[in-house]
Amino acid sequence: MDSLNLILCAVAAAALDICILVLIITAYREKKSTKKNWHQVSSDMELAEQDKTYELGCDEVLIGRHASADIRLPDLSVSRYHAMLTVANGVWTIKDIGSKSGIFVNGELTREAVLHENDMIKLGNRRLLFRKRRDSRVR
Amino acid sequence: MYANPVAYVFSCIFVLIAHFAMLSNIWFNGNYTEVRDVAVLGAAVIILDIAYFAVILAFKQMSYALDFLLILIMGMSVIFQSCFGHVKLDVKHYITCIVCLAACKAGYMLCRDHKLLQDKKLYIYGAIGVMVLITLVFTSAENMWIEIGSFTLQPSEFIKPLFVLACATSIADQQKRHKILIFNVVYENIALFCIMAVICLVQVKSHDYGSLPTFLSIYAMGFLLRICYPKAKFSKKKLFGVIAVLVVFLLIGLKYAPDYVQHRLHVDIWSDKTGDGYQQSQALIGVANGGWFGVGPGKGFLANVFAYDNDIVFATVSEEWGLLYALMMVLVIIIITAVPLINPTRSYFHGSMSACVCAAFIVQMALNIFGSCNLIPFTGVTIPFISTGGSSLLVSGLMIGMLMAGQSPVFKEHKQKKQEDPEPAWRWKE
Repeated sequence: MDSLNLILCAVAAAALDICILVLIITAYREKKSTKKNWHQVSSDMELAEQDKTYELGCDEVLIGRHASADIRLPDLSVSRYHAMLTVANGVWTIKDIGSKSGIFVNGELTREAVLHENDMIKLGNRRLLFRKRRDSRVR
Repeated sequence: MYANPVAYVFSCIFVLIAHFAMLSNIWFNGNYTEVRDVAVLGAAVIILDIAYFAVILAFKQMSYALDFLLILIMGMSVIFQSCFGHVKLDVKHYITCIVCLAACKAGYMLCRDHKLLQDKKLYIYGAIGVMVLITLVFTSAENMWIEIGSFTLQPSEFIKPLFVLACATSIADQQKRHKILIFNVVYENIALFCIMAVICLVQVKSHDYGSLPTFLSIYAMGFLLRICYPKAKFSKKKLFGVIAVLVVFLLIGLKYAPDYVQHRLHVDIWSDKTGDGYQQSQALIGVANGGWFGVGPGKGFLANVFAYDNDIVFATVSEEWGLLYALMMVLVIIIITAVPLINPTRSYFHGSMSACVCAAFIVQMALNIFGSCNLIPFTGVTIPFISTGGSSLLVSGLMIGMLMAGQSPVFKEHKQKKQEDPEPAWRWKE
């Protein structure tokens, strides 16, 4: 193989390398923008207790007594895996995932319910308010 | 609106540069008789790139990284396949690539709303049943394809994306436990195991042992995510138990495998160069012949060996374009599977789907490359996106569409009816 061909092969390989690098950088930039977008679309809601607020940072939020739960409620009246909050098409839904004491939304026992702003959720002895995040409420 | 227009433009430009560099290499270094052949190939690749860049904008995705990686690898695939033996646009492969790109967008549209898919779970099980029946009725151990004109379809390939969907849709039901005697069972897990068993039996009946590891990898990934769900339910004991059972099944399978499989396991390719070791020995000679930078597009001898464009495609690319380029081709596919790690999915459904798709891609690629290099027995499995084959490309397109769905899921604003402001209680009424 003569030197020109070798150079051409090396140039083609280098072009592909640079392209791969650029696409990886694009993927990292998209990570930032999708995170921002997610916060705008769905995370302007939060769960609030008397003195605590819990952010809803992903579309499936596990609530329970277990240490692995996204929202941990260390109370014996709450099951280890009590409820799952999910969002689809901008609608938040709460679902019972096999709890002992059930879920009450605005005083009604339910297995699954679509949540609206200012709904009161009762899990065991704990009461949580589903509301707009403080930042968006202030604005 | 897409949030990174500068990144979009730069990605488009660099994909075009990468393809243009490959075409320049063909121009100066390729084996062609007429310049027109190179011009047609170049025009076809560049037009496909530009058309795809324009079309994807209509989908208004949050992430386009996978699209750029896909069009990069598809352009490479068209160029590789058009250069094997002699430089001329491979029209059939080109059309298949366009179908693959369309399938990718179809997969994206289908899977981006996980709530909808979870509701239609029974249809997915039904579709798997139909595909299994078609495989049983229309194919046999001698002929695994259904011929439609000049195109052939392998129905067992279409079970892969459906099986991935079945794994992903049932992940949300892990808490629905039912008591049978003393056991707490999840019906979806039993259903999934039964589907897996049926698929394995069909594959064994069709003598398609090469696809078995791909299905097993999808199931293994689905199962692993099940025992990790919810997050901290991951149990080391369960994991070791599962691995032990898999090893036992593997040993039993190897012991009672058919004679020709046993022969492949123990064959010395260099002492049987004209028999069972023919393709592998030629593939290794081709890789050695190509060296780091290859003999030049269209100048390799592997194009005369059977299945040069699918089963031993890695060796054919290595020979003509060099081992360096072939390894970078592999790197592109690995990065495609790594994108969900860079930008993690935001639901268990999309997470499981991405993990299953990545497992299938990696296992398929490993089987092909390691098979060509004689590190494992030759299986005849294709490399996603690079090998020829309508079914393989179509299914790969659908599966990468699933990955894209995980990157740009549907999060529409909840449309609430405008409520009229309540009348204050203190207002005086006349």
